[in-house]
Amino acid sequence: MAQRLKHVDVVTIGVGLTGSLTALELAKAGLTVVGLERGAPRFTVPDFQSPAVHDELRFSIRKAMMQDNVKEAITFRNSSDETALPIRRWASFLPGTGLGGSFVHWNGQTFRFQVADFIYKSHIEQRYGKKILDPDLTIQDWGVTYSELEPHYDRFEYLLGTSGKAGNIKGAIQPGGNPLEAPRAREYPTPPMKEPYFGALFRKGAESLGYHPYPQPSSNLSQPYTNPEGLALQQCVFCGFCERYACEHYAKASPQTVILPVLLKNPNYELRTNSQVLRINLDGTGKKATGVTYADATGREFEQPADLVLITAFPLNNVRMLLLSGIGTPYDPKTGKGVVGRNYTYQTTGGATVFLDEGINVNPFMASGANGTMIDDFSGDNFDHGQLGFIGGQYIGAIMTGGRPIEFHPTPDGTPKWGLKWKQAVARHYNHAVLIQQHGTSTASRLNYLSLDPTYRDAWGLPLLQMTFDFPENDIRMSQYIADKVVEIGRAMGGKSVTRGGTKRPYNTTVYQSTHNCGGAIMGEDPKTSVVNRYMQCWDVPNVFSIGASAFPQNGTYNYTGTIGALTYWAIDAIKNQYLKAPGPLVHA
Amino acid sequence: MSRGRTIRRVLATTAVASIGAVWVAHAVAESLIHHPDVGSGAVIAAQGVAPSVPACAQCHAYDGASDGSGAFPRIAGQSASYLAKELRDFASGVRANAVMTPIAKALSPDEIADVTAYYASVNAPYLPLASPDPMLTKRGEQLAKIGDGTKDLQSCNNCHGPGGAGEPPAIPYLAGQYAHYIAFQLTMWQRGIRNNSPDAMADIAKRLDAQDIAAVAAYFQQVDASVLAATQPMK
Repeated sequence: MAQRLKHVDVVTIGVGLTGSLTALELAKAGLTVVGLERGAPRFTVPDFQSPAVHDELRFSIRKAMMQDNVKEAITFRNSSDETALPIRRWASFLPGTGLGGSFVHWNGQTFRFQVADFIYKSHIEQRYGKKILDPDLTIQDWGVTYSELEPHYDRFEYLLGTSGKAGNIKGAIQPGGNPLEAPRAREYPTPPMKEPYFGALFRKGAESLGYHPYPQPSSNLSQPYTNPEGLALQQCVFCGFCERYACEHYAKASPQTVILPVLLKNPNYELRTNSQVLRINLDGTGKKATGVTYADATGREFEQPADLVLITAFPLNNVRMLLLSGIGTPYDPKTGKGVVGRNYTYQTTGGATVFLDEGINVNPFMASGANGTMIDDFSGDNFDHGQLGFIGGQYIGAIMTGGRPIEFHPTPDGTPKWGLKWKQAVARHYNHAVLIQQHGTSTASRLNYLSLDPTYRDAWGLPLLQMTFDFPENDIRMSQYIADKVVEIGRAMGGKSVTRGGTKRPYNTTVYQSTHNCGGAIMGEDPKTSVVNRYMQCWDVPNVFSIGASAFPQNGTYNYTGTIGALTYWAIDAIKNQYLKAPGPLVHA
Repeated sequence: MSRGRTIRRVLATTAVASIGAVWVAHAVAESLIHHPDVGSGAVIAAQGVAPSVPACAQCHAYDGASDGSGAFPRIAGQSASYLAKELRDFASGVRANAVMTPIAKALSPDEIADVTAYYASVNAPYLPLASPDPMLTKRGEQLAKIGDGTKDLQSCNNCHGPGGAGEPPAIPYLAGQYAHYIAFQLTMWQRGIRNNSPDAMADIAKRLDAQDIAAVAAYFQQVDASVLAATQPMK
């Protein structure tokens, strides 16, 4: 029998980016907030200090910061006629756990989506007609527009101190920035990171082909910065340990650096770590949440009553929490009916390795997670798809996040995979190779979805999340088209040989690709095709909000943290300015 | 002389000339790259460079251990790249110092390369020094290895290497460095007088109070760098 605790105004399920940000704003507004985090507490000092934090075997290979998949795995299959099996070793994507969530081990790449991304279906059909869409594709508009989100992107970037160069301020193109970006209200809070040599080589190659290179926006900072919460960040030292690591240097924006020190001092807030939420409790009508039930580290169960429940977990776990709690109708791929789990999308990846002359020293170990140089000429709908037979696109960039010894050993095609010849090739190429990445859109398909696994259960006896996913053919055509462009750039950079990449089928969970898992609890204008409304409020249970990338109807071109931050501020504003004044549905379907 | 012999001689001369031209061009290219000469550096350390550079050894000792007072830093085994950067900064005035600036200005780039290569190569003994207050070194060790979360202060060793052994070429060692020198430099960073490194050092120094500075300085002075050196990979 769960012990019933004292009522609070708000409970957040998860204390990562969305959980700490919503809690900060609502506690400031005077609400009592409890943050339930399944993982352990951790802070820059003492937990993220060297030399322990640079343990590549522990963090990169054994994934020490990720969801414990002994306790809580995800099952996977490529299509619904297969039997899903648990992923026992994370590889393709890396859901974080512990205080701060995945916003601790991220790379700091901080993008905005484009204007067309938010009105994707309308935009594509208007520009190309309905025939360009394969029949299986289920893309949708978001229900919120870029111009509505712009102030929230701005606010989020200033919270993080993001280092970058504006390319478009209120429609005026800015030299040095990305001329193809969506218009922004003002410059980035801090100037861009220094361009590494690999970026300079890419810039030269891309410019020679007529493209528009720009410095990647980075939340590993180029200079010291104090954010509007009064929290100071330091300057990145290019140690090359961002992705899969915590920053020891107070230089990467994370809950620990830009949110938590203020939040934890707020008397309205209480953090409870090692608290695994099992379900959201509903009243007899099923239309109102009464709070949540969670288990502490010893397995004791508690009921935390709350007026407002915010699901602020990793996107995949947002969807699972809805399914476990019976909120919304689960998606049925046979009939196309139901919504929870529908439109699960991912990110298309790929890229090339450019092998250079031995006289060119790249020094890949001098890097941060977001100091690339990139182009948007093939992002989203920035190029004419009329004759191409696919939709979507990818950014292309020389993005090297640290030449760490276990993970980074580039060798040309045809090199043996082990032995003396392999070692010789690694020694020859380690310092003379540049990685070009292509990252981009993932198009929603009626075949891809999330559900509860019929067989496998977690350590608390609850069904695991089941993922059914393969890249739609549209995305393969798109990524392979762009792979050719990547090779051309690699040659223009002076590559002696250039490997060719691009997304292929079948999707494989044993190779790292991207941790940008999206959708499954998508936002929209119609409860028949969305789980949450434009404010990420559940259609079926209005005092539950499911916040984060689970709300993306499909993934845009870019890494999603910036858009999650903007959406979170957008939802917070709606809660503060509308919901609290008159609790109930903010949109009437 | 027959016509045939003349032609052969002309051809032969031309061949020799062109080989010579290639050889000379190669030699010129070689001479443009200065390979640091430890021997010449040792001479500069011992004798200085007439007329305006006194012997480095006068203050830093011939073996780079200086005199232990902390008025002059230990430079034995310090990264040549770091020492050369500091000399260039003294010369340009970016790092202001009444003693070092005229000396550094008088050294040519080749002389800087030689003398820094020399001191980088020296393995000097550690001078016997008074034992510091154990409470002070304990606090210093905490700051060096873990930092202080209440001050948003990361550990020194994140950048200066395990045990403060340095991360050459860019980042100097602190292990075995004299306490007075460390404390004085931190104070200069704190006050913005020294600012010839990434913004990191000024920011960090400002988070330290006088007690913290004394503590890290006392701690690093007594770290047994000879033990650390044995565990470090070759530079």
